[in-house]
Amino acid sequence: MRLILLFAVFALLGLALETANFHLISFRPLLPNLIVILAVDLGFRHHSITAALTAFSIGYATDAFAGSHPGLNAFMITLIYVVCYEISSRLLVTNAFVGATVVFFGVILTALGAIAISAGIEAVGQSGGIMPTLMLQAGISAILAPFMFSILARCKRAIGLSVAPARE
Amino acid sequence: MRGSFLWRNRVLLTAGMLLLLSAHLISTGVHPGDLASRPQSIFLEMLRPIDGALARISGGAQSIVNSYLELVHVREDNQRLRAELAKVTNDRARLAELEVENQHLGELVELRDVLGLKGVAANVIGSDAIGLSHTLILSSGTSDGLHAGMAVLSNQGVVGKIIATSPHASRVLLIDDHNSALDGFDQRSRTRGIVAGLVDDGLILKYVDRSQDLRAGDTIVTSGLDGIFPRGLLVGTVKSVHREGPGLFLSIGITPGVDFRSLEQVLVVTQQPPHLEEKTKG
Repeated sequence: MRLILLFAVFALLGLALETANFHLISFRPLLPNLIVILAVDLGFRHHSITAALTAFSIGYATDAFAGSHPGLNAFMITLIYVVCYEISSRLLVTNAFVGATVVFFGVILTALGAIAISAGIEAVGQSGGIMPTLMLQAGISAILAPFMFSILARCKRAIGLSVAPARE
Repeated sequence: MRGSFLWRNRVLLTAGMLLLLSAHLISTGVHPGDLASRPQSIFLEMLRPIDGALARISGGAQSIVNSYLELVHVREDNQRLRAELAKVTNDRARLAELEVENQHLGELVELRDVLGLKGVAANVIGSDAIGLSHTLILSSGTSDGLHAGMAVLSNQGVVGKIIATSPHASRVLLIDDHNSALDGFDQRSRTRGIVAGLVDDGLILKYVDRSQDLRAGDTIVTSGLDGIFPRGLLVGTVKSVHREGPGLFLSIGITPGVDFRSLEQVLVVTQQPPHLEEKTKG
């Protein structure tokens, strides 16, 4: 329950960042994708049905408030959770660098996956124009990911949750 | 149960079902809002203050950035405006100066019309550098028709006469120079005398008989008999009359009507006074 509440708060923050009308940062790719960072953290550190449901809920909430296609973000965020879950189950070390790398590719794959699902696979091949901004957002998200992991870890410690990587 | 396949893979299986659910949502095209309009409205209400706060923070940050940028621009604008202000102040002073100059020239033209003589207005561009002789330098010379011996006047009265010229400048001997002399008379008593300068500042009226009735405050004007200055121009006022002491003549001090130190424009009379012509003819 504490995990759900914690991630609900951060997801709300992430959604607020997605939907807020920023005056200062008019270039939206400069905003990090907090939703992907949360999914990565869940996949790396929380191997439970609750965590999977939380990841799905975060994606579903994104669809509800910031998405255009129902189920799209729910699918992609759950997929990221599964990928991170699998990576952390197989790797001996899942440090911040690995997390940042996964966030980087996670942001790109989420966007490309969303394009592929909503507009078809052929649309991915024609999406070269958005790659620079997508890479920029992925880079910024990856750079900020370790800080976000650190903040999440502190919050988890504060509410008595385990911060160690979970392996089954 | 705990060792079973289902239990060991419960997370993956759950995630798989969730993926299938997501795929179903995608394929059916049901909007999450339709499925959960009530939760959505609740979340929207929750997001609204957060979005508002973020927008305010963002707006505040933008305001700070804008303020800084404006400060940088204000500094540049300030420098530019200071330069413009200095220029405007300078122009304004120049305009005021031109206005004064225009007024002086207007008065000189009026004087020329009153005299009915031809004349040239000239700017005073210098004075005697040493201070032993009382002279002025004018900005006009022979190219403007000026020659030595011409009378120099101002709207206050007699200034002096030209003693040297060059094509574009002239030197004027002031009437208060000790080498200067002109024929004048007391307007009240009609007593004639020679107005001469002193080595130190001031004028005197020379060669006035002791019996003459001159008083302090009397006005001394030009007689026109010297052939240089037209008749009736103000020379000065009698400052003092000393009857005591040796000699045949009165000692009469005169205060010049012209403040020579504040002269800026003068009128040079380029035409001889008419009475001299008549005298010459006669």
